[in-house]
Amino acid sequence: MVFTQQLVNGLMLGSIYISVAVAFTLTIGILNFLNFTIPALYMLAGMVGWSVSYYGLPFGLSEPLGWAPSLLVGITCSVLASLLVERFTYRYFKIKHGDSTEHAIPLVSSLGFLLIFEYAILGAHGSETRGFHTPFTDLNWRFADLVISIPQVTSLILSLCIVVGLSFMLKKTRIGRALRATAESPDTATLMGVEVRKIVPIVFVLTGLLCGLAGSIFAVNYSEVSPYMGDHVGTKAIAAMVIGGLGSVWGAIAGGLIVGISETFSIHFFGASSAQITVWGLLLVLLIFRPNGLFGHNAIGKGKF
Amino acid sequence: MLKLENVDVRYGPVHAVKSVSLEVDEAQIVAVVGANGAGKSSLLRAVAGAEKINSGNISFDGRPVNRLAAPERVKQGITLVPEGRQIFVSMTVEENLLMGAYTQDQVQIRSGIEAIFDRFPNLASRRHSLASVLSGGEQQMLAIGRAMIARPRLMMLDEPSLGLSPILVNQLFELILELNRQGISILLVEQNTKMALQAAERGYVLELGAVRMEGKASDLAADKSLAEAYLGDE
Repeated sequence: MVFTQQLVNGLMLGSIYISVAVAFTLTIGILNFLNFTIPALYMLAGMVGWSVSYYGLPFGLSEPLGWAPSLLVGITCSVLASLLVERFTYRYFKIKHGDSTEHAIPLVSSLGFLLIFEYAILGAHGSETRGFHTPFTDLNWRFADLVISIPQVTSLILSLCIVVGLSFMLKKTRIGRALRATAESPDTATLMGVEVRKIVPIVFVLTGLLCGLAGSIFAVNYSEVSPYMGDHVGTKAIAAMVIGGLGSVWGAIAGGLIVGISETFSIHFFGASSAQITVWGLLLVLLIFRPNGLFGHNAIGKGKF
Repeated sequence: MLKLENVDVRYGPVHAVKSVSLEVDEAQIVAVVGANGAGKSSLLRAVAGAEKINSGNISFDGRPVNRLAAPERVKQGITLVPEGRQIFVSMTVEENLLMGAYTQDQVQIRSGIEAIFDRFPNLASRRHSLASVLSGGEQQMLAIGRAMIARPRLMMLDEPSLGLSPILVNQLFELILELNRQGISILLVEQNTKMALQAAERGYVLELGAVRMEGKASDLAADKSLAEAYLGDE
């Protein structure tokens, strides 16, 4: 029973990693760019959401319904912040240097944005962990000794639906094909009539949405947010992406769940500090046997969606 | 319909295209021949809008297109079948055609795609396979099909015969002539000088980025000095 409970907890935790890992994998796959701002985008949704609900909403929208509009504001902030990053890291260097992906500068700039966003929130709200309250914190299903949180199950289903929807979008829609064509060859995509300059912000909007959603799911399920919440999820999501295979949406799902499950089991058996060792140890061992991850292809930017 | 006046293309210190003037008339086939590195590809990429020009003027139907981005030029009816085919190997055959139809009305493209598959039965039987499994000849057909589906009025082909067997090269040139009979103007860049000048009405010889000779294709093909310089290796 303990085993099953840990498995359930792991899957729920994994649902948060899935969205963030997909955000990482999209930017890597399409733009060949490791966007380090992603953990901050995740944190912004939670912290901005918290601060909106803390300081109260107009039109009588505060308790008990305040959580939803608050998180919507949070997610909007993540998307706007993501576009800001696009404007000043990716697009700026693309214009200046042609191909920005050949430079480490956008990567370093995105790291700069991570710290700026984090310390802006620290400056505004301090470093404390804040409680985030929703009316359904204690809604659970109980089967014998097994406890399944309804919001967590909803979150897992929601994450999966969004990722599956995203995968469908990439496969079956005109804009999705344009994204994949740009991932393979921006030059040829341009010759087909794709306006690559307009495609890039779409990737960043998706990144902001996925991270904002994951941050909101965390806030609802764990009833707390902090300026550091992104750091914990960021490294795990990167590990999840690499385990699943760079640039693979399905890999990110598998990787996210694997990381979530191994983390909860590791904490259960070896204590809280063992989680990172287990996750990264697993990653290193896996890479020895499968250098491209579970679902990865060997060339970055080639045929991953 | 296409007119280039004194077009210059530079990449940093490299002066790839030097003051090239060139014309393609309605429903004409024009060949640009010359050695490797003569600037032929740069010239086509400049017309497609994939390369910026440093000076000069490119006009299509009498209107300058210099300032139009590549996607706008596709909408105007200029397509380029790039060197090395550049099909999307991560996509299926059908998805490649859909990419070719990117600027087209999405409702009508289904019939366009079926028309391409009718023309190339080899592609039809693999419509849902990844394009990477196609042979070189099939990939070239896909690259041309992908350009056809954009309903071009000017199709530029960059070294389409490269890497194809003699039989396939003949088929390729038949296809080019057929497209031309349908009213599509063709601007063809080739190292296979003989075939290109046979198919074309007019030709240009590019040397180190500049036009060295121009004229009727048959005259160029018969030119002794040109034969020594470029056709000797046939």
